[in-house]
Amino acid sequence: MNYIKLYFTCIKRSIISRLEYKKDLFIASFSFLFSNLCALLSIFFILQAIPSLEGYSLWEIGFFYGFSMIPISLDHLFSDEFWLVAYRRVKEGDMDMYFLRPVPVMFQVFAENFQPEGFGEMILGTALIVVCSFNITFALSFGTILMMVVASIFGAIIITSLKIIFASFAFVFKSSGPLLQIIYNFTNYAKYPLKIYPEFIRFILIFLLPFGLFISLPVDTLLRGTYNPYLLSVGIVVVASLFFALAVRIWTLCIQKYESTGS
Amino acid sequence: MLKRYKPFLRANAMDLLAYRFNMIVWLLVTLLQAATLVFLWVSVYRSAPGGIDAVINGFTYKEVIVYTVFTTIFTFVTFNSETLWLINSDIRKGTIGNYLIKPISYRGKFIASSLGGYLTMMVMFGLPLFTISYVVFGLVGFIAIPTWYDLVFHVFLFLIGQTLAVLLNDVISYIFGLLCFYTSSGWGLNQLRATLISFLSGTLLPLAFFPPVFKTIVNLLPFAGLSQNPVLILLMKYDYLMSLKVLGLALGWLIILELFAKLLFRHAIKKITVQGG
Amino acid sequence: MIELIHLTKEFKKPIRGKGLSGMIKTLFSRKYEVIEAVKDVSFTINEGEIVGYIGSNGAGKSTTIKMMCGILTPTKGKVLIDGVEPYLKRKQVAPKIGVVFGQKTQLWWDIPLIESFKVLKEIYQISDEDYEERLHFLFEVLSIDKFLSQPVRTLSLGQRMRADLAASLLHNPQILFLDEPTIGLDVLAKQKIREAIKLMNAKYKTTVILTTHDMNDIEDLCSSVVMIEKGSIIYDGPLINIKHKFGNIKTLVLSVDPQLNLDDVAKFKGNIEIKKEEDRVEIRFDADKVKLENVINYAFATLKATDMKVNDISIETVVKKILSEQEKSK
Repeated sequence: MNYIKLYFTCIKRSIISRLEYKKDLFIASFSFLFSNLCALLSIFFILQAIPSLEGYSLWEIGFFYGFSMIPISLDHLFSDEFWLVAYRRVKEGDMDMYFLRPVPVMFQVFAENFQPEGFGEMILGTALIVVCSFNITFALSFGTILMMVVASIFGAIIITSLKIIFASFAFVFKSSGPLLQIIYNFTNYAKYPLKIYPEFIRFILIFLLPFGLFISLPVDTLLRGTYNPYLLSVGIVVVASLFFALAVRIWTLCIQKYESTGS
Repeated sequence: MLKRYKPFLRANAMDLLAYRFNMIVWLLVTLLQAATLVFLWVSVYRSAPGGIDAVINGFTYKEVIVYTVFTTIFTFVTFNSETLWLINSDIRKGTIGNYLIKPISYRGKFIASSLGGYLTMMVMFGLPLFTISYVVFGLVGFIAIPTWYDLVFHVFLFLIGQTLAVLLNDVISYIFGLLCFYTSSGWGLNQLRATLISFLSGTLLPLAFFPPVFKTIVNLLPFAGLSQNPVLILLMKYDYLMSLKVLGLALGWLIILELFAKLLFRHAIKKITVQGG
Repeated sequence: MIELIHLTKEFKKPIRGKGLSGMIKTLFSRKYEVIEAVKDVSFTINEGEIVGYIGSNGAGKSTTIKMMCGILTPTKGKVLIDGVEPYLKRKQVAPKIGVVFGQKTQLWWDIPLIESFKVLKEIYQISDEDYEERLHFLFEVLSIDKFLSQPVRTLSLGQRMRADLAASLLHNPQILFLDEPTIGLDVLAKQKIREAIKLMNAKYKTTVILTTHDMNDIEDLCSSVVMIEKGSIIYDGPLINIKHKFGNIKTLVLSVDPQLNLDDVAKFKGNIEIKKEEDRVEIRFDADKVKLENVINYAFATLKATDMKVNDISIETVVKKILSEQEKSK
């Protein structure tokens, strides 16, 4: 089974579906960018009153924020359908068709929807990084560059894995949308240097919902040389692999509880 | 006549109760979220020139923490309107025709539904949470203890403000929902609506932190009445005059938006295309 | 071959108190009631059979079908399709089965029909030659070529059902599950679907399991019938047995003058049940024992009916009769 070819066929179909509603696509992309901008503005307004936050300049905070958008947008491109699964597809019994086909259900969920809005987010994040970097001095080396790349890609994998895990709960509890929403919102907290949080929050953001692991820590290393970039890279890869394996396991167990609708 | 709306009121209330697991989890984690936001604020104030007791944009760190907690509880309790999604679903499934032929106003059923949800949430969560928060903050000195009649009056005004906020939120959701007639992007419109509200209502940050020109404009928009104003009334940061002013503003906006919604509805109906065979 | 062995499916529903205060209590309680949708069901379907799977609403038909397709996992017991459990080994079983749900479509709503087919071609790994051949066959049998480039949401119900049936047959499955495929269709459309099914079965020996509420579907297509009521099988055998068991019950619904008094008119010479309500008269009789034309003559000549409708026995009636038979024999 050539999964890559199948994936592209499905994505092509997803794009054709979305192009049927061009106005739709435009509004969705626009409102997505708009919400990112508003979030940025909020931070900007809050920080305007102070010269620096816990020793980080405004530009450095901007860099944190911009970089966080990279793994988030990567995840957004591919795994958006899991939101629908968590919020209503399981509840409405709209998953039946996936179980009838000789292709894993999880694969079909990934292949159902490709979200080009993610590109907008990625561009915004990159622009922010570039603009901020003119006003920062940092230590660029092979190690740190590798670390940033690893953090972007494997960080996205961690986000996706968490999405899968919490979407799986929908099979058991009928709807897990709000729960997934809240877990996802924690990505907002990884957008700042971890110093501002007390120990237990830092613990959550590194060990439980490790958004801090691939956002705050790498950026901190880049700006302040806090950790060893190679060790951090390895750590991120290991955690990503663990989370993904866990996600697959939980998903496989939970889909057995699917109840569909009707009698 | 109003009896006709009672089923919708009850239905939304029962819906909310049905998803109990979601509710409790949502509450716990919302509180955790608020805690994290509080830490950000503390950091901000710690890094401020003048140290932690600095007053920034009219708020001390204590006031900003109280504000954050109260707006969090407020949004949790007050905003449970699924109006936009319900309209979107009606359009998607083509069931909108059902409601147009019934002697119940399409708008009316959403109002009833939102009010039903609000009352339930207020009883289940709002009253206990607000009371506990108030008492706790009062004990640690973050809130000054008021005279009993000041408190009663402010609570009374707050409840009016909260009801207005529910209705305002509903009419805004309704308007955005009607926009679904023109595009099919339920998600995009909802995102837009949610962003506008969270940004401009004072939920993400107190509106006082907006730069000067924006500050004036934002305080005149209807969104301010959705979160910031009712909470500031309760926290008595607004005196009686100011409270009445903002309530009047909210009421004014409510009337304007309801009229707009009516016109939009008439226009949108003409555009109905029911999907499918 | 399909085997169901002591198949059971339970659902846990939280016990809800009545009304609003009851629901508040439910918020803090954890009591569940267990609903047995399917209770210890066992039967076998052989290759090439067309089986009718019938029962009243809520009897457990769809639940059983979903377990046979691999959508639901049984609580106890198992389903074997050629010796393999479909909900465990989806990759192995899915290419062998095709499914049509009358109430849901498996096609993508907003894109032209042919685009949905293209995706299915990839999913089932159908070779280019097989794909072309199948399409031509399906064009002939179901006439779907006429709306191939239309988005599915613009199709009429009849067209959509034909499209769904075609989609389910694209990969040449050995077993076809049809869950209410003719629901809501007019007579001509139903005919077309039935013809297609008969052709598939004749040409490819496709096994067909059909759930329906239309007795005509059953009579036209099925050689044997399995009946389920409240989760348990109440009959499993040839169709002929049931028909002959309960006779050919027909109901005539007539429009008459409301002034008509049944006591005044001549009685019908034969065994019929007759009821009058306002301007409606219902006559029930066994068409094997009493000639239909005689009853119709009576309706028009004696009762002076102005309009008439003939109804066959309903599934619900058959179920009731079988159940009461079983009660009597106890």
